[in-house]
Amino acid sequence: MKVVSALIKRNVKLFFKDKGMFFTSLITPAILLVLYATFLGNVYRDSFTANLPEGLNLSEKLIDGLVGSQLISSILAVSCVTVAFCSNFLMVQDKANGTVKDLRISPVKPSLLSLSYYISTLISTLVICFTAAALCLVYTASVGWYLSVSDVFLLLADVLLLVLFGTALSSIINTFLSSQGQISAVGTIVSAGYGFICGAYMPISSFGDGLQKVIAFLPGTYGTSLVRNHSMQGVLGAMQEQGVPSEVIHELKDVLDCNLYFFGTKVAVPVMYVILGVTVAALIGIYVMLNILKKKDR
Amino acid sequence: MQDIIRIDHLSKSFGDVKAVRDLSFRVKEGELFAFLGVNGAGKSTTINILCGQLSKDSGSIRIDGADPDRNADQIKRGLGVVFQTSVLDSALSVRDNLESRAALYEITGAEFRSRVAELSELLELDELLGRAVGKLSGGQRRRVDIARALLHRPKILILDEPTTGLDPQTRKLLWNVIARLRKEENMTVFLTTHYMEEAADADYVVIIDSGKISAEGTPLELKNAYSGDFITIYGIDEDTVKSLGTDYERLRDAYRLSVPDTRAATELIVKHPEIFCDYEIMKGKMDDVFLAVTGRKLTGGDEQ
Repeated sequence: MKVVSALIKRNVKLFFKDKGMFFTSLITPAILLVLYATFLGNVYRDSFTANLPEGLNLSEKLIDGLVGSQLISSILAVSCVTVAFCSNFLMVQDKANGTVKDLRISPVKPSLLSLSYYISTLISTLVICFTAAALCLVYTASVGWYLSVSDVFLLLADVLLLVLFGTALSSIINTFLSSQGQISAVGTIVSAGYGFICGAYMPISSFGDGLQKVIAFLPGTYGTSLVRNHSMQGVLGAMQEQGVPSEVIHELKDVLDCNLYFFGTKVAVPVMYVILGVTVAALIGIYVMLNILKKKDR
Repeated sequence: MQDIIRIDHLSKSFGDVKAVRDLSFRVKEGELFAFLGVNGAGKSTTINILCGQLSKDSGSIRIDGADPDRNADQIKRGLGVVFQTSVLDSALSVRDNLESRAALYEITGAEFRSRVAELSELLELDELLGRAVGKLSGGQRRRVDIARALLHRPKILILDEPTTGLDPQTRKLLWNVIARLRKEENMTVFLTTHYMEEAADADYVVIIDSGKISAEGTPLELKNAYSGDFITIYGIDEDTVKSLGTDYERLRDAYRLSVPDTRAATELIVKHPEIFCDYEIMKGKMDDVFLAVTGRKLTGGDEQ
């Protein structure tokens, strides 16, 4: 246990001291902030107000709360995965610069090395994502707070689940990488691509039917939807109380990806938890198997 | 002295490339063993197999009586390795690096602090402990690499070109430390180097070329077998040197005669005592041995 905790300490320290890795992990959330600050926030604001029934005027605070909660859900959904990938790049960096040789000439078991990478990525990512969640909640309070205590806890649980998912997925993919060039390529693809396919940059509902069906097979999609549901259900409930018809709320939930459909069938929130939970368990299982089956370099 | 490393008929290929071919040699406990060869000769492959980083195709290895395939952990506890290039974490301090590596051998807490204090004294690391490894000079970093390799008091220290690019002062410090450890702890040192003067101090030398052993023996045996002797003679003119009928080379204030061996040198001196008033006899250098064995020179990292 001493060995694993020493390795975890080393890995976490390295991640936070390596400015390259640390700041790369914040690129996607930064892109989202810029997108919302420049035009996306206004686009959504206009879209919400344009679709409201005639004669119904909602308070500015409510509209701000709606746009703000969409922003924070996007940031959190995407950060949990991209930060996990960047944090886990240490595993590849150790291979690329030869450090792993130094670790492997010691009597420490390869499985413990792999476990230390997994746990340290989990810790680093959770630190960043929970800090981001706290900042997001402060932001929400400043633009319009509609969350209940249970919403906050469920939101944090969603973050935890998504971080577990991102860490397990990145651990598997990074197992096959071994050079700095591969790190850059995968980092770029994940940072840019994951924001789209998880519906953080644009709601999945705005994609074509075919693409929506493909994305429905990706477990991360349900993680985004969970975050959306728990960050927005308060503000949507407040809208309903201010007289927005339930059909309009339902439509808004569809547009905002709070409701997801798998080939036309609505996926309930508990089912989303099951999908994500089973996926995390399966990915960790695959990672463990990869490490058990991994033999000495030939 | 008993064998601490026994390698018999070791072979390893990467695809069509035969990196190591039927290699057999012994390393005695406590000796300085030099393993020489040009780049690509198979040195690193052999070391990687010894350290359990690579699997062998065939042959057998025993390190301190244990088989790396079956008792890898036991062997790793007795091996310290200084790699060609530093593999420590540049962003972390020297102390953090040593702490994380010591923990791999379950050396923590007071035991770690005590060991670091010993190594700091030995390698003059006191002022470096709080500094980031990435900010150290090449020589300072090398001292830290050696401290890392010695953390767990290994029985065998593998030095893979440890002094390449180092300043003379750091090289001297390094060799003093190694000499002290060999004397006080009977540590075996397995050395690969491009500096032939370092190999000349070894107890036993193996030269490999294209994965096979080309020559082996003590430096004296190798010099006797592969290089002649030299007599440097002072205070005579060139005509007198010519009269000896031997190959010679003109130096600034002397002439250097080449003779096949020490016996021939003695015969020459006995035959012309009036000429040999001020002279010295030297064995050939390990550079000459290496050149004679492989047909190539090793000069500070590059083959020629």
